[in-house]
Amino acid sequence: MNKTVELDMPIFPKVRYSGWHLDEIEPSLAEVKERHYINDQAFGIEVNGQATAYQHVPDALTAQGVRVMSMLKAQALCPELLSQYVGQVIPATTDRLVAQNFHYFNTGIFVYIPDDTQVDDVLQLALNHVATQGQDMMARIVIYVGRRVKLSIFQQMHTLGEVKSKASVVIEIIAATSAQVTYANVDAFSDVTTAYINRQALVTEHATVNWENASFNDGNVITQLESHLRAEGATSHAEVIALSSKKQVQGIMTTVENSGRHSVGHIFQRGVILNRSKLVFNGIGRIIKGAKGADAQQESRVLMLSRRARGDANPLLLIDENDVTAGHAASVGQIDENQMYYLMSRGISKKIARKLVIRGFMGEVLAKMPTKFAQQLIIDEIERKLQDENETS
Amino acid sequence: MTTLKIVNLHVSVEGKEILKGLNLTVRTGEFHAIMGPNGTGKSTLSQTIMGHPAYEVTSGHIYMDDQDLAELSVDARARAGLFLAMQYPSEIQGVTNAEFMRAAINARRPEDDPINVMDFINKLDEKREFLSMSEEMAERYLNEGFSGGEKKRNEVLQMMMIEPKIAILDEIDSGLDIDALKVVSRGVNEMRSDDFGTLMITHYQRLLTYIVPDFVHVMMDGRIVKTGGAELAQKLESEGYAGLRNELGIDAHLTDEDANSYFVEG
Ligand SMILES: Nc1ncnc2c1ncn2[C@@H]1O[C@H](COP(=O)(O)OP(=O)(O)O)[C@@H](O)[C@H]1O
Ligand SMILES: [Mg+2]
Repeated sequence: MNKTVELDMPIFPKVRYSGWHLDEIEPSLAEVKERHYINDQAFGIEVNGQATAYQHVPDALTAQGVRVMSMLKAQALCPELLSQYVGQVIPATTDRLVAQNFHYFNTGIFVYIPDDTQVDDVLQLALNHVATQGQDMMARIVIYVGRRVKLSIFQQMHTLGEVKSKASVVIEIIAATSAQVTYANVDAFSDVTTAYINRQALVTEHATVNWENASFNDGNVITQLESHLRAEGATSHAEVIALSSKKQVQGIMTTVENSGRHSVGHIFQRGVILNRSKLVFNGIGRIIKGAKGADAQQESRVLMLSRRARGDANPLLLIDENDVTAGHAASVGQIDENQMYYLMSRGISKKIARKLVIRGFMGEVLAKMPTKFAQQLIIDEIERKLQDENETS
Repeated sequence: MTTLKIVNLHVSVEGKEILKGLNLTVRTGEFHAIMGPNGTGKSTLSQTIMGHPAYEVTSGHIYMDDQDLAELSVDARARAGLFLAMQYPSEIQGVTNAEFMRAAINARRPEDDPINVMDFINKLDEKREFLSMSEEMAERYLNEGFSGGEKKRNEVLQMMMIEPKIAILDEIDSGLDIDALKVVSRGVNEMRSDDFGTLMITHYQRLLTYIVPDFVHVMMDGRIVKTGGAELAQKLESEGYAGLRNELGIDAHLTDEDANSYFVEG
């Protein structure tokens, strides 16, 4: 991987990940052809390793020029269209991991929604790491949302297979003028996947990209989530929930950069830490000179549910303009004993009360998941992680 | 019949003794009221019965029939038939009222036999309407953004859904206007049966004109100092706590409000 080694590794404050060797990746050719996570008839695609396990775009959308296809197919069928967008949001030379993904990705998803398309259904994207042979996933998702389009996306990631390996996933979203995008994701890689995930959106004039990010992986993961509010009135609400368990480390860095006037960037993060795991939230609000009237707010809260849990919530505001509003709040605390007492005083067992309080703590993001399936997936993941907790402690 | 029996109860909070030898027996079928000035330990008593971890029983016992409650966790006490309508209920975002009440009912049933969803909804609708509560409150988050009055109603709704044997109602009248007070009282009166007993805690006599108690106990300085029938509440109304204190020769400090005012509505 010589093309990339001269660049630095990305900086994740308070997370030491050099021992994960994320810059030593062997792109896998493995595939799983069976569909696992998308219902029949749903609008969307499931890509498992290099295979497309499911793909469906309603005829009416195809007729309007909507494209939803695997990255391999896009490279074969519409390379010019694709090349207009790859690397547009995250420049290839940003850092070593971005560059590595840029040069070597060999799977992923491409979505193109032309201007003014009316899309009624939630777009469902599943991208799964096939961990059967020991090589790694190197994937990129590129999404272009045309002018004035309203689109709701639900994206999931899981591991298929049991062989320890790595995943590098870079996701770029371009929201054209006045586009309104909700991007909800559940990252649920298993403990055999060590992952680097980087999602970024370019938000143009009067466009909105709202993130509903759920990090429920079981392995070690660094996740970057970033919105670039490039023009007048661009808006992004980045909402993150995360649950760490067992011995894993999840480092999440959420950034909103306001460079457009009257741009609005809010970061809201809620994390729960079980067992001996670690969870770090870094929230960065950056306001560039000239972004008059910009608004940057952030709030990060972490609950530590065991004495050996380790957690951190680090807010950072970098402001280079006077005419702005900005604020931040962060806390690391324990479960609310009064809430536990209240629930238990109605006969609810400690175990179930704890589950309800945790779910409640994440409730704001849970409620915004765009499909019932997505909500249930998160509820099930909470349940599963708490179950694991009881088995290990 | 179920009996809640409190014997020579001493309780400390943060090292300070609040209850100083309290005796009280409440049976199903009976309505009891405890009245007393602010800060005398009424909420301490109710929280101790329920098992709040901040309240330390230094001596004495609380029994439900033959069971010593000291051996039961908070949730087990509730499943044994106790209920506490709290003076300050918690708010829990992300958990709906309906989901919470269903979990409470299912906690009393075998794990593989949860309440039928339709049965649950029908029961909830019936009780909710009885308390003039709106339909949307079931899907709202537990107590979140509820007004003081809505919270009190919600406590009574939970009681009606769970159907405990003995319910302790800690100031369910505070902060209620007269209409809300009537509704809440109707809910409590509706529960009256041989299988239900209650211990109402109140600062004001007003509640007791709507829910008529069989017994009235006056609490001062961590003890019950006088017990009588419903007429005792009326006597207190006209004489005030200071009058009773002087009559009994008790050395208890009263806040100015309790000493001077005669049950003006709070
Ligand atoms: N959780 C607590 N922490 C500290 N002090 C408490 C707590 N609960 C009660 N107390 C103290 O105990 C005394 C009695 O309070 P409380 O039981 O609330 O009285 P009441 O309900 O009769 O007004 C007061 O001095 C109060 O400050
Ligand atoms: Mg009180």
